[in-house]
Amino acid sequence: MQDLIQPIINGILLGGLYAVIAIGLSTIMGIVKVMNFAHGDMMILCSYLSLAFVTFLGVSPFLAFFVIIPLMYFIGYAYQRFLLNRVLGLEMDPPLIVAFGVSIILQNVLLLAFTPDARTLMTSIGLQTITVSRHLQIPVNYLIDFLIGLAVIVCLYYFFQKSFLGRAIRAASDDEMAAKLMGVNSKVTYARAMGIATMTAGIAGILVGMTFTFYPFTGSQYLFVAFGVAIIAGLGSMRGTFVAGITLAVAQLLGGHFLGPGYQMISGHMVLLIVLLVKPKGIFGTV
Amino acid sequence: MSKIIHKSSWYLLALVLVVLGTAPAWASQYLVFFCLLCCVYLAMSQAWNLLIGFSGLFSLGQPVFIGLAGYTVAVSTNYFGLSAWTGLLLGALVCLLFALFMSLFIFRVTGIYYGIITLIFPESLLLLFSNWEYVKYAQGMFIKPPHTVSITEIYYAAFFIGFGALALVYFILRSNVGLGLMAMRDNEDVASTMGVETFRLKVYCFLLSALVTGFAGGIYYIFLVFIQPQEAFSIAWSVKLIFIVIIGGIGTIEGPIVGTFIYVFLSQYLADYFSVSMIILGAIAIAVILLAPKGITGTLQEKLKFRSLLPRRE
Repeated sequence: MQDLIQPIINGILLGGLYAVIAIGLSTIMGIVKVMNFAHGDMMILCSYLSLAFVTFLGVSPFLAFFVIIPLMYFIGYAYQRFLLNRVLGLEMDPPLIVAFGVSIILQNVLLLAFTPDARTLMTSIGLQTITVSRHLQIPVNYLIDFLIGLAVIVCLYYFFQKSFLGRAIRAASDDEMAAKLMGVNSKVTYARAMGIATMTAGIAGILVGMTFTFYPFTGSQYLFVAFGVAIIAGLGSMRGTFVAGITLAVAQLLGGHFLGPGYQMISGHMVLLIVLLVKPKGIFGTV
Repeated sequence: MSKIIHKSSWYLLALVLVVLGTAPAWASQYLVFFCLLCCVYLAMSQAWNLLIGFSGLFSLGQPVFIGLAGYTVAVSTNYFGLSAWTGLLLGALVCLLFALFMSLFIFRVTGIYYGIITLIFPESLLLLFSNWEYVKYAQGMFIKPPHTVSITEIYYAAFFIGFGALALVYFILRSNVGLGLMAMRDNEDVASTMGVETFRLKVYCFLLSALVTGFAGGIYYIFLVFIQPQEAFSIAWSVKLIFIVIIGGIGTIEGPIVGTFIYVFLSQYLADYFSVSMIILGAIAIAVILLAPKGITGTLQEKLKFRSLLPRRE
């Protein structure tokens, strides 16, 4: 029992990170109604961009938040505006194929540009831990992930509830025709929503880069994390996303604890499949 | 005019059939390999087209069946001393059973979720097989049947499954099932209101496409002699299938044929650069979706106004 505390606490902290990973995907699923296969790869793209930024200028990865994240907004905006918007509303499949194609292209471009070596964003606090007791040590970077994750979710919640753009985005997704009549340009609004979602993916990417190693193909792994959280949470619930993130992370770490590290991802997938089998609409879902 | 083209496309198909059917008798070994790959990809892409083009299911789970069939062949020939063809039948059976298991999950969700749910299965199996001692982890296995299989035998198996898949899809679409499928693809709610049993049709399609893909995958690995989880369950299979079907034309019977030849031809030049080839295939698929969403055959059909081989009851 004593040695279970560590994976559970780690899982809870990691859950904050998982929530940021997922929030962009579930926002886009809810608003644009597209499964963005490139979500995980956008994250890893941001990790690599930050890596390049940090190595070139020799600064702390925390600075990347202020430089690379705004850049991610424009990448996401352009991705939606010039690729996805053009095939939206035709049928279900073309946007999926475009997103899948972008995902494959991103992975392989990253592979060509950065080689398949494992990379990480080194920070001065990366390896420090806070010792609580003999059985429990809290890694500082997990704690940072959790706090930033919480902050992002809270900001997004208020953004969607209070700001004009947030309301416009929700309006365009609820009833496109009515939103258009109210003067909301739905295509541009979708592009802005994708920009914001890509920014959250970027934040997740930098956090993942500071916490774990990453490779050009790691994106698909986090796509499943994001999707798992989104399914468990159900669409459109910020609080649900946070709790679901923690659920999935704890499940993965416990799976890894009992079965060995090779099975960590698989146990996450299994939890997801079981949730689908039992409650296909998600635990917190209203839709 | 349109009638002539319609007729001549039948002659063209017959010509392709004869050329491929007699290939081992006259072609060089390299050309036989080329035709063999064409047949294998033809079967896989027809099976995938049955899902996306006719039943509206965007499946990224096809590598599951290719890998499972390949591994069943490897295990049954290496560990149980069965012949390659028995292994192939077993492999197809395993695919069918696993497809049944998958349908427990994937049909609980609709639309945009479907693709990603199916994507979970190849990823999980990839992880599982890489961590499984019985199949020698990620190192992979050699497929050593007790009796060696000649390339001509493999070729005719591939030929049979390739054109078998073509005929199967053709006859399915001619039947009432096909009408139901197309109604379902165009508007699922209306179709089910009109009495089409959409759920059952989807499961049929999925099982059938798993079976065909399993046969094709098994034959491919008998030909290749070596199987590895990273390759067998690779997402690259899905990229190839998407490329073939998109560039040829979604929801047409001739599309995958055209796409297959283009892909196998291109892959001869791209074989050495995996990531470059993935970028090129992905970019072409996106460009085709944006500029000519109906693919080569669909666009030609519109321009020249000819009827396709696709059966429609007037």
